[in-house]
Amino acid sequence: MPTESISAQGRPPAAGGVIHDLGYQRYDGPRLGRRRIVAALAWHSFRSAFGFGRGAKSKVVPVIVMIAICLPAIINAFAMSRGNARVVNYDTYAPVLRDLIMTVFVAVQAPELVSRDLRSRVLPLYFSRPIKPGDYPLAKYLGFTAACLVVLEVPLLLLYAGSVANVHGGAAVWAQTRALIPGLLLGVMWAVSLAAISLFLASLSARRGLATGTVAIALLLTYTLAEILLQVETQAAINAGPRFPGGPQQVTIGEKVAGLFSPFTLFDGVRRWLGGTNFGDNVPKVGAFGAVYALVLIVIVALSLYGLAARYRRARLS
Amino acid sequence: MFNPVVAGITVRATLGRRRALLFAIPAVVLIALTVVLRASNPAGVSWPANVLGTFGFSVLLPLTALIIGTGVLGAEIDDGSVVHLLATPVRRRDVIITKFAVAAGLTTLFAAVPELIAGLLAPNSGKLAVALFAGAVVGAVVYSAVFVLASVMTTRAIAFGLLYVAIWEGALSNLVGGVRILSIAHYALGVANAIYPDHDLQAGLSLSTSLILGAVVTVGGLYLATRRLETFSLAGDPA
Amino acid sequence: MSVIEFRNVSRWYGNVVAVNDITMDIGPGVTGLLGPNGAGKSTILHMIAGFLEPSKGTLALDGTATWRNPEVYRRLGLVPERDSVYAFLTGAQFVSATAKLHKLPDPEQSAAWAIGLTEMAEAQDRKISTYSKGMRQRIKVAAALVHDPEILLLDEPFNGMDPRQRLSGTIQVMVAGRLAASGDFRAIRRLMTSRPHVFRVKTTDDRRLAAALVGRDYTHAVELTSKGLQVRTSDFGAFCEQIAVIARDENIRLTELLPTDESLESVFGYLIAN
Repeated sequence: MPTESISAQGRPPAAGGVIHDLGYQRYDGPRLGRRRIVAALAWHSFRSAFGFGRGAKSKVVPVIVMIAICLPAIINAFAMSRGNARVVNYDTYAPVLRDLIMTVFVAVQAPELVSRDLRSRVLPLYFSRPIKPGDYPLAKYLGFTAACLVVLEVPLLLLYAGSVANVHGGAAVWAQTRALIPGLLLGVMWAVSLAAISLFLASLSARRGLATGTVAIALLLTYTLAEILLQVETQAAINAGPRFPGGPQQVTIGEKVAGLFSPFTLFDGVRRWLGGTNFGDNVPKVGAFGAVYALVLIVIVALSLYGLAARYRRARLS
Repeated sequence: MFNPVVAGITVRATLGRRRALLFAIPAVVLIALTVVLRASNPAGVSWPANVLGTFGFSVLLPLTALIIGTGVLGAEIDDGSVVHLLATPVRRRDVIITKFAVAAGLTTLFAAVPELIAGLLAPNSGKLAVALFAGAVVGAVVYSAVFVLASVMTTRAIAFGLLYVAIWEGALSNLVGGVRILSIAHYALGVANAIYPDHDLQAGLSLSTSLILGAVVTVGGLYLATRRLETFSLAGDPA
Repeated sequence: MSVIEFRNVSRWYGNVVAVNDITMDIGPGVTGLLGPNGAGKSTILHMIAGFLEPSKGTLALDGTATWRNPEVYRRLGLVPERDSVYAFLTGAQFVSATAKLHKLPDPEQSAAWAIGLTEMAEAQDRKISTYSKGMRQRIKVAAALVHDPEILLLDEPFNGMDPRQRLSGTIQVMVAGRLAASGDFRAIRRLMTSRPHVFRVKTTDDRRLAAALVGRDYTHAVELTSKGLQVRTSDFGAFCEQIAVIARDENIRLTELLPTDESLESVFGYLIAN
């Protein structure tokens, strides 16, 4: 800002210059602290994940995603009202559909949170506030995890509501509730992991379109790869036959390892390790090996978060 | 019609960016996967249909077409450099046709050709490979037209394209039968299935249906894209 | 003679008026659009280039509207402000590609001529991504000139360009969607050079230099600040010539000499005030 004025008559300014009073007022009152700033950023990120705060076109994909992912719950309610038992499970829900829908959601929305701000260079504005450098990506992560949680849990709750409406008796309702809880917890695992991975991948490129492409290809490629390996290994195991004639089908090491190659199959592996029975993404009974699944998942999430924070640390200076 | 200068710039632009990694990697993975599976030779498993069909056709082809197709024109619109192209006497129709041709060509190169190579590498699937190659070429052509159109109509072309590929083609069209006529993947499968019928392909459309619908979508898409580019408005002041 | 005629042209987006009732003629030669951000310059440029339709009024090049009329580009050269240009091409490739797109009979020669005109021959074989902002501006001008158009339009012509490269021509000055001033570049330039210029000078002995300068009649004001000498002069040509002589005579070494108010905004502010 100039420290002197250029007056129309060309009068030389006084020695040392003058600061003009433009009415800018200093604020000396109480200020909200770090936690409130992070909370505000997180809330803003949460809203951005659904397209709020931008034009109508930004809401198209989130809306379609919500409708699509709720369809199985609605269909189930319909089916149950005609006397059938519950057709959709709480823990696996509709596996392939959910995998694809979540892929689309995180691939399209993660760049709304992290790619655009890196490109438009508004970061210095944020970092000149009293927050620690890691707070900003943390806020984004919290907001996006919450958004993923909504997309994952709302259908389960709809499923629950639709089922409860169609069963009678306290015991039946309690049975539904008991089945719901693990599903909800698994949803938390999904949200926490997918948010981290997609935010990190999206932050790698400054163009929104490229970021979407990166996340989509990473998730879909690994998923298809893992599925193929799983199917191949399962088929090979069946062909090889049980180890002891007449004995149970053994789960080969190949089958177990194949599921490590994709976040979605990792989720499924952990689910089976924790006692889930029905088939989700074809991941076989993993037994104790499931701990490896959990470990790999944790490592991937940790690396993603570290990478995200690193990205913002570097970008801060540009 | 086809403008070599525009084509040259487009090819250089598409291959020279980091975007190129995105569609190079899946092709490499496909071939690598084929090599690995062939070497390990799992006993009695017919994996080619899985690898070539599921991976190659359902993932590699549409995604590659998406990245390339939305990029040939979309990237220039996104950063504003399209002005240099539009401020010339080149007819908008020629711009669209050239961009479309480049997209179709590059998609063929990065999706259909690897498909063919993988097919020839995999055991007992030479005929399937050729069939899938033909289908992939048809798919590349139709996808490119649709994605070029999308990139003229919206800046969020990749998002909507992904929605279409993952949800419409990935999930729904296999569940609900009638939807297949609106699925480009099924046009491609129909062509492949006609050359080498394979139950695993789960193709639902006949050859003639596929070709006719594919042609209609392609020509219609290019026409609409031309009309849209002729009335293309740039945003006003970036104030 | 080709003329672009604006008659009561307005353009609005919803209830934001970007361009407000403009009537002007743009004739052959170079015309620069000046004005602060949001003044409507890019909108005007895009309308002339046929990328936007006026919401009201008529805009015609030699009688035909520019909207949806690709032929207009034969007579028009456009230099947009946004920095985006094919960064992966070399300067030469970019200009010659533009020449070919214009279907010129000898594209390479036209390109060479345009590049020579904008003094980009040295850098022409480097990728545009390595260019400075001023060089990018010049290569865009080269591409806009390559087909020898009658009318050349520049958006924000002073942005990043060296004072030597500023071509002479007409200026249209826009403020808040309205036409605020138009005229010959030279006349406005004279206005610019006659205004007081402010320089900052750092030397080994500020006080003595200040004393020496105060006695000269081109010195309007001298101020000693912690950052060096602030000199206000009404004749910067004479000042620039003399400062070196004075310093040498007084045995003072100059370590820094900067104009401190060359920004478009300050120039503009001065033009508006006058």
